[in-house]
Amino acid sequence: MENKRKYVIPGDLVTTGPFRPEQNVILEGKNIISTSIGISEIYDDSVRVIPLTGKYIPKIDDLVIGKVISHSSLSWELDINSCYVGFLPAQDVFGRDFSAHADELSSKLKTGDLVAARIANFDRTRDPLITISDRDLGKIDSGALIKISPSKVPRLIGKRGSMIQMIEQGTDAAITIGQNGWVVVSCESPEGLLKAKKAIQMVNEKAHVANLTDQVKDMLESKGES
Amino acid sequence: MASKSVIDELKKTQILELLDKGERVDGRALDEPRELSIEINAVPKANGSAKVRLGDTEVLCGVKIQPDRPFPDMGDKGIFICTAELLPLSHPTVETGPPQPHVIELARVTDRGIRESHMVDVSQLVIEKDKSVVGVFADIVVIDYDGNLFDACSYAATAALLTSTSPKWTMVDDKPTIVEGAESPLPTTTIPVSVTMGKIGNHIIVDPNGDEWASMDARITITTNSDGNICALQKGGNDGFTQEEIIQCGETSVRVGAKIREILKAAQQRGQ
Amino acid sequence: MGGREATMVLLDENGIRCDGRKIDETRKIMIKAGVLKNADGSAYIEFGDNKILVGIFGPRDVHPKHMSDTDTGILRVRYHMEPFSVTERKNPAPSRREIEISKVIKEALEPAVMLEKFPRTAVDVFIEVLQADGGTRCAALSAASVALADAGIPMRDMVAACASGKVADTIVLDVNNEEDQAGQADMPIGYMPNLKKITLLQLDGILTSDEFKKCVDVGINGCKIVYELQKKALTDKYFGNGSN
Repeated sequence: MENKRKYVIPGDLVTTGPFRPEQNVILEGKNIISTSIGISEIYDDSVRVIPLTGKYIPKIDDLVIGKVISHSSLSWELDINSCYVGFLPAQDVFGRDFSAHADELSSKLKTGDLVAARIANFDRTRDPLITISDRDLGKIDSGALIKISPSKVPRLIGKRGSMIQMIEQGTDAAITIGQNGWVVVSCESPEGLLKAKKAIQMVNEKAHVANLTDQVKDMLESKGES
Repeated sequence: MASKSVIDELKKTQILELLDKGERVDGRALDEPRELSIEINAVPKANGSAKVRLGDTEVLCGVKIQPDRPFPDMGDKGIFICTAELLPLSHPTVETGPPQPHVIELARVTDRGIRESHMVDVSQLVIEKDKSVVGVFADIVVIDYDGNLFDACSYAATAALLTSTSPKWTMVDDKPTIVEGAESPLPTTTIPVSVTMGKIGNHIIVDPNGDEWASMDARITITTNSDGNICALQKGGNDGFTQEEIIQCGETSVRVGAKIREILKAAQQRGQ
Repeated sequence: MGGREATMVLLDENGIRCDGRKIDETRKIMIKAGVLKNADGSAYIEFGDNKILVGIFGPRDVHPKHMSDTDTGILRVRYHMEPFSVTERKNPAPSRREIEISKVIKEALEPAVMLEKFPRTAVDVFIEVLQADGGTRCAALSAASVALADAGIPMRDMVAACASGKVADTIVLDVNNEEDQAGQADMPIGYMPNLKKITLLQLDGILTSDEFKKCVDVGINGCKIVYELQKKALTDKYFGNGSN
């Protein structure tokens, strides 16, 4: 394989020629130019740049962690680490016979609560629509919230989940990763919790380092502080 | 202080649970402030300046010293003005526009902490009585927010004033004119140190960080001078302190203040 | 405003300027990306004695809602000088000069940023001048561009800026404060280096048509020098020690 990956910043030329511009690149004349700081990838017929920074852009069906920041009598507003605020309608939680008079929203979710949620719908003309009505979704009762850059989430998950499984097994922690970069870690032991947090921060800071997996493995296996 | 940021409930619960065990999320003791670093002369063209980092809170103070007209009826006193501004880049909830009440409170509490200690002796700042005096302006800007702006601003202003140099002016043709080569350190009489304590449940903690600040029920800022005497005080927040708690806070502010005073003294030494 | 020697030499017989530089030399420039904890993106620049900090928030919800655009995100820029940043203490309230520079910088960045994908949002650019010494708008614009990239705001190019000018009848690069006061022309330029478009251009002073052409040329070279440092700032933060 020739060198098809390159570090780029906005304005950098990725390649010229008959490629289809995909994420984070644009076509200027015959040139395909990066619009982000990231790593460019050239495929057979398309080009994209994987960004190394930026807010979360909602995608339908993504699992995200959200924080309730306000509510009206009909819906909650959630911070989902995006340009837009998530919209969770009351019916999603109370069911279809929800009544604004009888059902008080804060009895189910109040400001400051964290939820595991899914993006039900999103187009840029409206705020993203959120749902928590599946079995694995809903209010998060315990655990610690850690925030990483959304661009590092694939690295935290790893190939076929290898990185996150390694961290969970090495610490006995249960980790829920939101595609929006918010991660909830639950662990019985405080040491396990600390190690899991450390591992996650390592991935966030060193995603570009080649032997990151080994470094995380070493840290998880080491005894003692720091 | 970002009044509208929402802290997540899990974190708030965790903070309280740890406090019940006498612990804090970042491992500090209840009466332990965060690491304080002071960079003096951060703005070399000003007469004095200091950039202060208290944990992840970052604050910059620049001191300008220039001739001014005295206030009416105060012709034998120079001018000392201390301002504080929350820069919009310090936190997503900071708005531009006229300062909100909590920012005005921050500025006035910081000003009082220094003024009431008489750190800057304004009677020494007269060029010609009733006509021309020296104005000392300490302007503080908050660059990054992570709780406890009261103390960070106080330390930045104090460090900047301790390391300021002032030109000397004399009246020539009725105008204040700089005397070349007569710069000298700004004379100061004491080192005021503010210590802010927050109340969460029944626990009192020194130097609350951003998360602790958002979880607090009440707070108190106490400024002591080099003699260990209390010279300014401000209680805030929407809960109350018991009498015992207030007395305990007073004692803590003297004790913790003394340690921080050493850091400020070291900064002053670096400026000499 | 201090006493300036009436005998200060702006350009001596060896082509050396009052601060020791040659006519095509910029002052010392340093740019660092990602310097603030809370901002979505940030950068710090030292350009000679200028010290400027830029913080970005966004794209984010716009309040009040009537200021938002249903078809595209909007860019808002606030250029602000601290009271202690200049020789004579400046009143903290925004001056007309700051408001004009805010607008000019906004219009210099707009051709580069791509906000059509973020309707109803705003990107806020907060520029704080901590110490000023001539050429703040160019330094601010250069840092803002780095901060926008740091925040992940999509851009079709970076924007680099530098001023050229005329001092002692000679076209020079990067006019400093003394040269601005005592010189004959000062021309700040903002430039997109890959698309080769000028997005900021102002002029104070008098130039012949030939001098104008030369000044633009010299200024663009200055912008290219700044661009290399913008790249370095982002590379240092994001690409670690390895590059390609």
